[in-house]
Amino acid sequence: MHRLLEFIKRIYVVLLFLLLEGIAIWQYATSTPYTEAKILSRTTAMGGYFSQKITNIDHFFSLSGENDLLTRRIAELEQTLEREREMLADYSEEAWKKRMQSEEEDELHYIYYPARVASMTISRMRNYIILDKGERDGIKKNMGVITPDKNLVGYIISCSDRYSVAMPVINTEFTMGGCLSMTNYTCSLRWNGSSPSHVDVIDISTYAQPEEGMPIEAWSERLPKGVIVGHIEKFEHNAAKTAYSARLRLAVDMSALDNVLIVENTHYGEIETLMDNIESQTSSSNNSL
Amino acid sequence: MIKHIPHIILAIVLMLVQVFLLDNIDLGSSISIWIRPMIFPIIVLLLPTEWSSIWVLITSYIVALTLDLLLGGSGLYVVTLLPLAIFRPALIYMTTNRSIDSSDQSQLLARIPLPQLMFYVALSLLLYHALFFIMEALSWANFFRTVATIVLSTIASLIISWPVVRIFTSKLIA
Repeated sequence: MHRLLEFIKRIYVVLLFLLLEGIAIWQYATSTPYTEAKILSRTTAMGGYFSQKITNIDHFFSLSGENDLLTRRIAELEQTLEREREMLADYSEEAWKKRMQSEEEDELHYIYYPARVASMTISRMRNYIILDKGERDGIKKNMGVITPDKNLVGYIISCSDRYSVAMPVINTEFTMGGCLSMTNYTCSLRWNGSSPSHVDVIDISTYAQPEEGMPIEAWSERLPKGVIVGHIEKFEHNAAKTAYSARLRLAVDMSALDNVLIVENTHYGEIETLMDNIESQTSSSNNSL
Repeated sequence: MIKHIPHIILAIVLMLVQVFLLDNIDLGSSISIWIRPMIFPIIVLLLPTEWSSIWVLITSYIVALTLDLLLGGSGLYVVTLLPLAIFRPALIYMTTNRSIDSSDQSQLLARIPLPQLMFYVALSLLLYHALFFIMEALSWANFFRTVATIVLSTIASLIISWPVVRIFTSKLIA
């Protein structure tokens, strides 16, 4: 109260000025119909202008919340889409009835979890992204990470209770297959550490007909189909002319990454066990030889 | 009180001149729409600089209210004269580079050089006329005519009021 009185004491001249000015403007405004109409229209316009500005500021501060909502919504829609895709892929009268009876999440091939980037590096040879979702949110190692518009970011390599670490494409240890969009020609992705917006693609079949601007999709059991890695910027034959290699402009802007989707392939464990069995069988047969 | 008598006389004289002479002078309709001199802002401009801002504001309000009543301004004179009173310290600082908040500033206006004094009076009159004619028109429909009226009226007001300013500030020195 004392501070308020001190404050009023300091600005009482300005307050008195505003009061007298306000009364005089009101008196002038109501003196004739012309001034009334003019001043009323001006004050309405000014009121509208400031109201608009305040609304814009309010909207700006709510953008973060809206982004989270949208990312969650995208995750839900992706899951629904995945369900539809699976239903269409192996459509049969029986399968259709079975799926209509139970649409439990655990039957889905891919499950999407919205997450936000907590921190990341892009200037090192081994860059990592820390995401704000961890084991308690259902995140596990080897889940894929994509942007809400389905561009490749990387995959999860480690998890704690609350956070997870993803290895992005721009890490020299990152390995993943790729394929030319709309074809079955596969290739391998590598990052040479030079530019955070480009990766190299090697081993593109000579039968493939790469073109500049052609999209390359990720080819991995961690991710669903249709995840774009980037677009071919230039390509050439390798030295032995046995394959093409290409320079790819990444579809995702790593420096402006915020909202992401973590993708779980519910069949990944099964695939991993299978691959482990094959590897153990191969190594035991090698040992017996 | 006695030392403020010159200011009271100045205020009464300027208001009378404004009401009975300048507002009734017939220059012909073609000139009157372009030139409408107003010298009463001088009352506010020449108020003692050692006065506190509240007294400057109250005095300006009384002057403006009197003019509103005498000239039928319906608040227009209060609306336009009070900003001049509130921004007077800033105007003095801008034009003379002297702050009226500092200690010994009694009769500051009588001690500043003539060119700076003229700049202060001219700029203040220009701002007052601009505010007055914009508030009166409340429209940009005749923008150039409004600007011409502001400039010509300011010049006319300055020519009429400058001798008053000079005499008054000289008397203060004396």
